Amino acid sequence: MKYTQLKEIIKKKSSKTEFAIVTNLKNGLSEIYEPGKSLSKEFEIHKEQIDNFFKLKKNGVIEKKEIFIETYIRPIKVIIVGAVHIAQYLVDFAKSLNFEISIIDPRGYFASEQRFPDMKIINKWPDEAFKEIETNENCALIALTHDPKIDDPALQHALNKKFYYIGALGSKKTHENRCQRLKDAGFSSNQINSIHGPIGIKLGGRSAPEIALSIISQLVAETYKR
Amino acid sequence: MKNSFDEKILEEANDWINANQKVALATVIQTWGSSPRQVGSRMIVNEKGDFSGSVSGGCVESAVVRECIDLIKKNKPYKKIEFKVSNESAWEVGLACGGEIAVYLEQIIEK
Repeated sequence: MKYTQLKEIIKKKSSKTEFAIVTNLKNGLSEIYEPGKSLSKEFEIHKEQIDNFFKLKKNGVIEKKEIFIETYIRPIKVIIVGAVHIAQYLVDFAKSLNFEISIIDPRGYFASEQRFPDMKIINKWPDEAFKEIETNENCALIALTHDPKIDDPALQHALNKKFYYIGALGSKKTHENRCQRLKDAGFSSNQINSIHGPIGIKLGGRSAPEIALSIISQLVAETYKR
Repeated sequence: MKNSFDEKILEEANDWINANQKVALATVIQTWGSSPRQVGSRMIVNEKGDFSGSVSGGCVESAVVRECIDLIKKNKPYKKIEFKVSNESAWEVGLACGGEIAVYLEQIIEK
């Protein structure tokens, strides 16, 4: 690989542009490809397969062709509602797990910059906050306030937008009440049952980092189930 | 598996080059069976044998380092190597996990 190409890759990474590095393993030639853009003659014939790797969010060698594709795809958006203690640990875990975190909390004293350095916190109510975040079925929601005023509107948004993972903190009793409110609001039992509540896999721990670990583990598991 | 925008191994390679070191990239391009690191996993190696990142769970790194040094010394642009479970081939190292991996080595060509 040429040094100029390495520099270009680093530039694309820092601007979070989705791209792929395609390499011909037979002659060592490589090229940077952005979806929708054209490729040189060398690689153009493989465009369909390259796009397919993008679609599957995968790296690999095209079958029976010595062409290696390495894709760089934007991480999954994870929206946390509640800038609470557990969220601080979730942010730490998420950094090394390729999730892109946004935190929503209308309570200013929780959402302070000091508690979450280098982290953009949306200090608004969920309905307002979601106007700033583009969401779809590739998103995940972690509701941590167990305050219906804050969690419920976010859960409703996530259900309507068919987030692939929705989890809500709270005891079984809290969750039963939450389910009843969502039922009253017109959500189907299928939708309501898709919510992971109480959130997380059973690890047995009770401390904030342990709960964060149990939540992030469940999120990773659900991400690979898709 | 896709690659992460946050992984900083290529940035580290750039730092090494800026410190006038010669650098080879080693990338896992194919895996069979139970290999520990996914396709796209990468390590970087300089001409002295310093390395960062990984291509396996520590099973084949030493051989990859040797191959990378060789690549740099002979000034070859690239090379593909495969590691299997047994040690019968030229490799004295193998994957204890029973997997197989193919690793693509390439030198970063001078500025």
